[in-house]
Amino acid sequence: MTKELEDDLRRVIGRAAESAPQAPSGLSTEIVGRSRRRRARTLAAVTALAVAVVAGGVAVTVRGLGDDRAHLAVNPAPSPRKSLAAQEGRPAPVEEVWPNAVWKIPAKLSDGRKFKPLLFIDDRTILLSTWSSFEKADAIYAYDLGTGDVRKIADIRTPKGVFASGYAVGEGRVVWQTIRDRRTEFWSVPITGGEPAAIATDAPVEGRTDASAVVAGKLAFSVLEGGVFTLPLDGGQVTPVAGADRHHILSWPWVGTPGDYTPDNEPSFEELLNVETGQTSRALVRPGEKFVRCGVTSCVGTGADEKYFHRLRDGSQQRELPQWAPLGLAYDRFMTIHQPMPTGGQALLDLTTGKSGDLGLRPDAKGGSVSVQPGLTRNRLVSYPLGDQYVIIDLLRI
Amino acid sequence: MEDDSRFTEFVAERANALLRYGYALSGNPHDAADLTQEALIRLHRAWSRVRRKEDPERYTKVIMTRLHISAWRLRRREHLAWALPETPLHDALPSDDDQELWQALEGLPRKQRAVLVLRFYEQLADAEIAELLGISQGTVRSHASLGLAKLRSAIAHRTPAKRSTP
Repeated sequence: MTKELEDDLRRVIGRAAESAPQAPSGLSTEIVGRSRRRRARTLAAVTALAVAVVAGGVAVTVRGLGDDRAHLAVNPAPSPRKSLAAQEGRPAPVEEVWPNAVWKIPAKLSDGRKFKPLLFIDDRTILLSTWSSFEKADAIYAYDLGTGDVRKIADIRTPKGVFASGYAVGEGRVVWQTIRDRRTEFWSVPITGGEPAAIATDAPVEGRTDASAVVAGKLAFSVLEGGVFTLPLDGGQVTPVAGADRHHILSWPWVGTPGDYTPDNEPSFEELLNVETGQTSRALVRPGEKFVRCGVTSCVGTGADEKYFHRLRDGSQQRELPQWAPLGLAYDRFMTIHQPMPTGGQALLDLTTGKSGDLGLRPDAKGGSVSVQPGLTRNRLVSYPLGDQYVIIDLLRI
Repeated sequence: MEDDSRFTEFVAERANALLRYGYALSGNPHDAADLTQEALIRLHRAWSRVRRKEDPERYTKVIMTRLHISAWRLRRREHLAWALPETPLHDALPSDDDQELWQALEGLPRKQRAVLVLRFYEQLADAEIAELLGISQGTVRSHASLGLAKLRSAIAHRTPAKRSTP
């Protein structure tokens, strides 16, 4: 009997433990940020809290893709390590390196509320959200980068424990999702403003949506559990996309498997499928390589020699990266790199040109610091708070 | 920076194992995530020392265990860094008897449960458990036998025929 109970315990605890939640891919960035903030709090009583910002999104359910479809080819470029070294010291500020791609806007709305930039609506307008409590958006706005005008698009109301996330823009609408009981509901409102309405579906959407895009009158989305679907923007039938039953949207029309979220460190987007042309691609991954994260044209990862690499999906044109890009490259091209102490901070590096720009972030006197990681996401918007301003970078203008 | 990248690798490689341990220890996903997050923050703050002298995973599990059995839940909690999907227990434990035993674990004092998890999930010897919890081996044995006795009485109504051990 005793033996039996002990065997049962071994089995039951072991199996039940498999139901544990899984770590999101940006967890360590978040942990490091919190650790530093805590150190800052411990060292000084003054509250000047830095915020950890992960532009790619930390939470599994809190990420979205813009509807931009531009692909940028990776050109063989001068080694970033060499060009960085050649710059002798810190790179110039981002706004000097790429003046057409960087804005600084006040970090609060005129009524004093804080906001979070979400994505570009068009070349000069960004979508913002305000929140009522942690990560709980209560309204969305359009912000004109040219004039500084802010216009409320809609109030967002969600039940307790339900969060609006995964924003996408296209065809005159803002679309987002809420997730409840492992099912996704989609919502839509005209960019010109109005009352949000649920997008009706013929059957409940089983699964938690991890990426979406507005494409030709439809909402295309993929679920965390795997599978790509389309849904008419006005509601209707949810249709699986042929041949993409295990896939996730990377950048429409490119979908791949596994997706961005790879709990066991599988190579992200190792297999790709272009759902419009049927073209496929399988990224080369060599034995002993870890943390391989692939985009539409290239992959980064840690080699068996523990060095960080960047190369095309077919394995060609491999070169060494100056630092690890744990979330992958944005647009197969951009990553952030940490700057040496004592100044610290980060720079945005464009691997295509080898240019880099200082984001302006510094650990403050109390050790607080901000971390920016664009990641694989195809969101052209990178943003972070800096003092009483928000820095807005449009990757497509670089 | 090198240190941070090693830390990041450690988190990428071991966070899920830590979450499983936290879940075995606490029985619910929120505490599992909370314990893991809190222990990793503390690990990060001690990283260079821990990496030189100790096994980071063991260090983190020690912190998680001690946090869990101390009154840490009374402290203000930090927000979790991620949204938690709810996994129905039924998927992991399809048998009613297994679910019942798992639920019976909830009735144990935290120290007794921690000892049983360390013994049967982590497969540690009593001497290692004693060191990890900072208690004597005799206390480990008494926690274990009290815990097992309690579980046995909680599931005593089962008839042998109903049991579904594979």
